[in-house]
Amino acid sequence: MSLLAAASIGTGVMMLVAAVAALVVKKLISAIIIVGFVSLSASVLFLLMDAPDVAITEASIGAAISTVIFLWGRGKIGGEE
Amino acid sequence: MIRTYVGLIIVLALAAVVISAVPGFSVPSELPYIGQNYAEQGVHDTGSINLVTAVVVAYRGLDTLGEVVVLFSASTAIVLILTLIPIGAHPTPPSSIVSFTAGVLPGAIVLFGIYIITHGHLSPGGGFPGGAVVASAFLLVMLGSNTIPGQSKMLASIESLAGLTFGLLGFWGMMTLGQFLNNLVLPAGSPGKVLSAGIIPLISLAIGAKVASELSGVFASYRKSGGAE
Repeated sequence: MSLLAAASIGTGVMMLVAAVAALVVKKLISAIIIVGFVSLSASVLFLLMDAPDVAITEASIGAAISTVIFLWGRGKIGGEE
Repeated sequence: MIRTYVGLIIVLALAAVVISAVPGFSVPSELPYIGQNYAEQGVHDTGSINLVTAVVVAYRGLDTLGEVVVLFSASTAIVLILTLIPIGAHPTPPSSIVSFTAGVLPGAIVLFGIYIITHGHLSPGGGFPGGAVVASAFLLVMLGSNTIPGQSKMLASIESLAGLTFGLLGFWGMMTLGQFLNNLVLPAGSPGKVLSAGIIPLISLAIGAKVASELSGVFASYRKSGGAE
């Protein structure tokens, strides 16, 4: 197995674990940050698969902007699960 | 609680589908016909080194125009909803870390966004991601203060002007070369230079300005919709 394949599979497993963690954590703010981490891992995965254009878009929109929008939404509904 | 389990089952089912598809997944040794054509002729046809931008802006420019229209109607609808129904959040005072970062970083982020936009035909990037990066700098500025953003005519003007520029560049091709959005109304130049690749840099600039102003407008209207503390 090449290094690239190992890195891709490692990132994919990390994403899966994080996606499950986002569902089971108790605090909403932790779930939002974990979802942002899933997006960031997806961006790394795109980069490993030779799609830097998609990776930039995913990192800026998926990881940064949508996380902030979720955090604003949390500020509106106020807090816990 | 039951929702957590339903979500867990959905995530694991999707993971099972993806993992079961992995063994059959392979990269084809040959591109299908039109992809092969793009890969071989792309640099010669458009003058753009980044083939993704060549396809997105030059070959499939009409689709990109449609995408810009979709984004425009979506952001208009969001701003309309936020204006009619005040569902935004009250701005809370930022922590000292956020307000310090918001004072230092936005200039560099805007510069990086402009770099991504203007070098879309040379390196990964282009109008959409660059515009989003520029907008995220404005988002950071907004996060760093707890004031309500004021009315801005300039944001709307930039947005309209950028959309108009995209359309007019399309019509320029129609007038001179008989094809809407023909890339080569400007010379392709020597690939690798910033000023090359026909009208791709101009269209990237228009898309970048449009995306940045639209996203900033959405953030600002969300802030305004929350009202003062």
